[in-house]
Amino acid sequence: MLRRFRLEEPQSVTEVSELLGRFGESAKVYAGGTELLLAMKEGLVQYERLINVKNVDGLNQVTADNGTIRIGALCTHHQLETSSVVKQKLAALARLEQNVANVRVRQVGTLGGNLCFAEPHADPGILLLALGANMIAERTASKREISAEVFFVDAYETCLEADEVLTEIRVPVPEGKSGVAYLKFGYLERPSVGVAVALRVDGDGKSIEAAKIAVGCAGPAPKRVPEAEELTKGRGVDEAKTNLSKAGEIAARAAQAISDLHGSQEYKEHIVGVLLKRAFQNALSQC
Amino acid sequence: MQFEKQVEILAPKEKVWNFIWDVDRFIACVPGCKEAKTIEAGKLYSATMIEKVGPFRVEFPTTIEVLEREEWTRIKAQASGVDNKIGSRMKLSLDVNLREQGEKTVLGFVAGVDILGKLAALGHGIIKRKADQVLDEFAQAVKKRLEGDS
Repeated sequence: MLRRFRLEEPQSVTEVSELLGRFGESAKVYAGGTELLLAMKEGLVQYERLINVKNVDGLNQVTADNGTIRIGALCTHHQLETSSVVKQKLAALARLEQNVANVRVRQVGTLGGNLCFAEPHADPGILLLALGANMIAERTASKREISAEVFFVDAYETCLEADEVLTEIRVPVPEGKSGVAYLKFGYLERPSVGVAVALRVDGDGKSIEAAKIAVGCAGPAPKRVPEAEELTKGRGVDEAKTNLSKAGEIAARAAQAISDLHGSQEYKEHIVGVLLKRAFQNALSQC
Repeated sequence: MQFEKQVEILAPKEKVWNFIWDVDRFIACVPGCKEAKTIEAGKLYSATMIEKVGPFRVEFPTTIEVLEREEWTRIKAQASGVDNKIGSRMKLSLDVNLREQGEKTVLGFVAGVDILGKLAALGHGIIKRKADQVLDEFAQAVKKRLEGDS
């Protein structure tokens, strides 16, 4: 059962930041509430105040701007799976969003909430890493852009300061002959392993010009794996494919897989390798 | 959850042994541990363990009981605590042993940690990882403190 709390209704990001600064750990930002309220009902966390950000204007838009897709932090998963801009420019993200949890969660759960809660078994952060996304964090008097690579710190932990508010996610639209794939493996709605691959090939499609690989769900936080990328980047397509087994082993170690009821560490590491090969092929087929 | 850790400390065994029984200095090496009190010297102690995983915070008022003690060599203890706020219980069994290796002392410990109740909803893997981190930090803090003193 939910314990009593006070609901704050700020109208601007500045007000949200001020409230966070004033009330510290006794307050928490509340958007979709799909994860936060569950944890509160379970009694795992208690807050005296929830800061409802749903009335803050301008945080639920998706816009295309000069090669970048700007996603307001309050955009719901449903908004993103149905957005024509996302479907056209970031099809892999639209596909991912179609498969986040279930329809009830997608209707109210927000991308910003998902990223800030940093639950380890979450899909979006992994793909955003491979896409080279940046997070915009604002506080009363400042604004900063944070690379997705440093945003996730640990399980349930991001690099946001106590009074910072995630307002926007900026995703560069893949250029040239490119392909992006996200594959996951899990039990019911809970992903145990997620792998994202973003590739760009040269004009005649014979070599890999750029590659980004990210893994997550298996360990505490999503991670980009530059060492695995190096085995494919700047190489011929055939050589890159040959290197995928080695890249899979490196990505598996980077995932810091944790044994649990849904699989042992070794099993999850194996799955990382399998998904990496499949995601690579999938991304390549789109180029 | 079972953990086995070992740390080599550049200090004689007697110094390490005495350090373990110096409650205030020893407790300072346990991450998240505060308000340590001696209830019965050499047998019964109390402390509060506070740990955080992201927004999840637990506070276990803990009783530590020394079960066996072999002078300069081995200590067997158990601890348990309850966080009533989030309805969770922590049980810890600890087997500490000291072995001389030249100028060094090898401090080894086997810890069995059980977390019961709602906190388990966070997932066994996450809790295990946190416990592992705490034990690593503890081992390194003991080493640093003792070697720093020498």
